[in-house]
Amino acid sequence: MKHHFASSSNTGSRDGEHWVAIVGNPNCGKTAIFNLLTGLNQKVSNYPGITVEKKEGFARTDDGDFRLLDLPGTYSLSAESFDEEIVSEQIDQWAKGMAPPSVIISVVDATNLGRNLYLTSQLQDLNIPIVIALNMVDQLEDHTQIDADKLASKMGVAAVIPLSAKLNEGLDNLKNAVVNARKGKQSPLDSPPWMDSEMVSDLKSTEQNGYVSARFGLAQSMRNKIQSGTMERDQEAILRYRWIDDILSQVTHRGAETPLASSRSEQWDKILTHQWGGPLIFVGILYFIFQSIFTWATVPMDMIQLGMDNFSTFVVNNMPEGMLRDILVEGIIGGVGAIVIFLPQILILSFFLTLLEDTGYMARVAFMLDKGMTKMGLHGKSVLPLMSGYACAIPGIMSTRTIDSWKERLVTILILPLMSCSARLPVYTLLIGAFIPSVTVGGYFNLQGLTLVLMYFLGTAVALILAKVFSKWVGEKSSSSFIMELPPYRAPIPKSVLRHVFIRGKLFLVNAGKVIMAISIVLWFLASFPKVDNPNSDVNPIQHSYAGQIGHAMEPVIRPLGFDWKIGIGLLTSFAAREVMVSTMATIYNVEDAGEEAVNLREAMQTDVHPETGAPTYTPLVALALMVFYVFAAQCMATFAIVRQETNSWKWPMFMVVYMTALAYFGAMAVYQGGKLLGFS
Amino acid sequence: MTLTDLSPGETGIILNIEADTTLSNRLRELGLLDGIAVRMVKMAPLKGPVEIKVHHSYLSIRWDDAQTIRLQS
Repeated sequence: MKHHFASSSNTGSRDGEHWVAIVGNPNCGKTAIFNLLTGLNQKVSNYPGITVEKKEGFARTDDGDFRLLDLPGTYSLSAESFDEEIVSEQIDQWAKGMAPPSVIISVVDATNLGRNLYLTSQLQDLNIPIVIALNMVDQLEDHTQIDADKLASKMGVAAVIPLSAKLNEGLDNLKNAVVNARKGKQSPLDSPPWMDSEMVSDLKSTEQNGYVSARFGLAQSMRNKIQSGTMERDQEAILRYRWIDDILSQVTHRGAETPLASSRSEQWDKILTHQWGGPLIFVGILYFIFQSIFTWATVPMDMIQLGMDNFSTFVVNNMPEGMLRDILVEGIIGGVGAIVIFLPQILILSFFLTLLEDTGYMARVAFMLDKGMTKMGLHGKSVLPLMSGYACAIPGIMSTRTIDSWKERLVTILILPLMSCSARLPVYTLLIGAFIPSVTVGGYFNLQGLTLVLMYFLGTAVALILAKVFSKWVGEKSSSSFIMELPPYRAPIPKSVLRHVFIRGKLFLVNAGKVIMAISIVLWFLASFPKVDNPNSDVNPIQHSYAGQIGHAMEPVIRPLGFDWKIGIGLLTSFAAREVMVSTMATIYNVEDAGEEAVNLREAMQTDVHPETGAPTYTPLVALALMVFYVFAAQCMATFAIVRQETNSWKWPMFMVVYMTALAYFGAMAVYQGGKLLGFS
Repeated sequence: MTLTDLSPGETGIILNIEADTTLSNRLRELGLLDGIAVRMVKMAPLKGPVEIKVHHSYLSIRWDDAQTIRLQS
């Protein structure tokens, strides 16, 4: 397996510092416990492998504070995917004495104890005090009892603390146990309790050097022997499970229900992942989300527009005339205001995506689509990253770390920016609102909503086709599997969902605040200067300005796509971020208008006419070509920075810029020229 | 017989696993040991992944990988 290590495996911890690591299986409630201990609100999800990075925070106790590190979920120390590799690399370093934690919290799912304790038993080899957080005890079947104290003594861990992260019960006990575990000294074992003496002496001769704990060294040399084929494979799993099962039979009392019984989630899945019905439901859900982005958002959007209009009128009435007022009204309020108006749509989109993930539905989607995705050179686990790409490519690219094959991960990254992210939404919305009539077609569908769905579909379809093409020649074939746990359906925690939506909205606004405001100001200068000497001349001042000159210089290149010089400026500024297109157009029109209040961008574009012919500058065909351009264009610096980080090379981001730019240019040209040939204007 | 010979709803006992070392290792770690009972829950169409229940959890495994898991007849 080949992986590129992007982030360093250094935790940044100082030797001898008291700090605590949280380790556990995917989906066992690790992140929820981390949040409760630190008060930090990490996003908690119901999708295996959602913590793809390490997260840090502080926990406060009466005995002083300690630092906490949340690691990605993993089933064992033998890593299959990049997120698991982060954990096994990290633990290997601790085993070698490099800044190990003083205590490890091993989070286990009480409803699936045996499987979860497997990782705990591997952690025990480190001879670092372990506190087991026995999570989800509230979800144990009736009559199932676990003797926590007995489990602790049988396994040889510092403590076992039953708790429920969902109900926020038992967390104080966990904190106290961590403090005590650090103080209490356990006598470390020299060899794993599940190894017999014969095996120990056999392995001693080949013992790994460099490990602080002799016990970890023995386990590691066993793994090496299995890898090299000199020891029967599966031995580690067989021996550890034998030991765990023996302990569990002594400390648990099981209810009547058998482990293979059908759960409530399985009943739900009879419908939700039905062979043919399941995919249909998924498409229906997607359609519902995109329709609601348009219909639900109109009221708050109108309210924001009204607020912005009132605010700019207020500024105009209360500030002395002059350049400062012009910058404020034409540059900042005009530019930033044009962007803030899209906040409701972005909130609605991230709300639905969060909901799908947190309920456990996305894992089912991965299951249903794995076959199709494999056919396209992708992976079932590519679905979640691609869907996150509808919100923003950056978290999407990060979450490809759960894909265990490098080749399929790379292909997913390469096509991911073609998924229309929320930064394109303002561009689509503006153009659709201005140029696509709001009529009902086919008796049921709104043409505007349909056009929006079409743009998303275009990006997605081309992404899938390119995935197939790229997978033919990108990277060598690597082994790939799709072993994934399907978590039970859970009701989303409202606080966690709202928190996530809030963070997404905040990021959007901070972006609008920084990048867009700066660009709006610079653009205002470029569009306002140099001033025309004779105000009575026929020269249009904005055409005469620096921005106008740059735009006109670009026109020969973009003319075949139907774009004029104003769009040209927008395309240039979009390289910082796509949504800047909208604020750029707003600033240009505001400067041109130079009126008392900020102009309504939609109306300004609809009524814009060619100065000589009097024909409308923008037609539905131009709008369509421009939207197609935005579907494909490589316009987000941050995305390419993250691709470089994840692939550890400039080759792939540069390749992406080239292929996406070519697609955008020729795609838009095909729409515009083809449309003209068919007789549209 | 192998895991994929089970119809949804049927249960089998694992005889052994014939996958390569990496895959077999992962399956063993997830508790698919010889002698353990597995229930076939669902099969995705067109030889897509299968969903099984083992111990207390639901797992998805690709068709080809599932065929390496042999069951007691």
